Amino acid sequence: MIDRSRIGFTTAPTRVPVDAWRVKLFCQAIGETDPVHWDADAARAAGHTACPAPPTFLKAIEGEHFSSAALLQMLQVPLAGVLHAEQQFDHHSPVHVGDVVEVSRRVDRIFDKKDGALTFCVVDTDYRVEGRSAARSTQTILVRNKPPA
Amino acid sequence: MTWPAQIQLATDPVTPVQLALFAAASGDHNPLHLDPEAARTAGFDRPLVHGMLTMALAGRLFTRRLGPGCVRRLHARFSGVALVNDEIELTATLDRTEGDLAHYTLRGITGRGKEIVTGSAIVGAAP
Repeated sequence: MIDRSRIGFTTAPTRVPVDAWRVKLFCQAIGETDPVHWDADAARAAGHTACPAPPTFLKAIEGEHFSSAALLQMLQVPLAGVLHAEQQFDHHSPVHVGDVVEVSRRVDRIFDKKDGALTFCVVDTDYRVEGRSAARSTQTILVRNKPPA
Repeated sequence: MTWPAQIQLATDPVTPVQLALFAAASGDHNPLHLDPEAARTAGFDRPLVHGMLTMALAGRLFTRRLGPGCVRRLHARFSGVALVNDEIELTATLDRTEGDLAHYTLRGITGRGKEIVTGSAIVGAAP
């Protein structure tokens, strides 16, 4: 049983830079071949102020702030038996290589389904650049609980 | 703006190198994605593709067609898992338009036809 007192737990914001190397690795992993994402000259030639980060890239910098694995450890949930059930991203303004993103995460909800066999943990993440919201994401983690012995 | 009625993206078989690159980029070093033995112990024939990799592919489906910055919202429900060597086929279907925005539904299957993701997206003109 996950401790419900953790609902509302919010991490202190930390600042994480959007590094070109990380964007490039991310692009290589997903087969993105457009160099505007990591080559500043290509980005400017295409009319961008700097290299734009691909959609959902911000999830990749969460680990530098407070990873979902660390969050589950705090909730005393073993990683085995955990599934990433759902994810939503709302992009409010473009994020570019060189931006410094202020990240904060909040445990929004913890609830059971199927008579406690499944527990869902919903975590919201805010990403702010220069004081305004660049994006917000919602991750739903599914914990498959062992039946009581 | 005339929005495409359907947008598709089909990948080659996902390689272990892609998963290693994604792990390095994202810091998600869960052995289920990297270690065949850990995957087998958990009951899978091969390592699992990160759900966030599949979701990033959905982002690429839109940006490739509509340009970087077009994705305003992306929602994914991971209804199944893709494994290493699976091809991933994503289809976005125009649901409706609302002012300057287009709403799409999303579905992803493996090359073997197994559903791995359903969801939706809201896209607008690239800034």
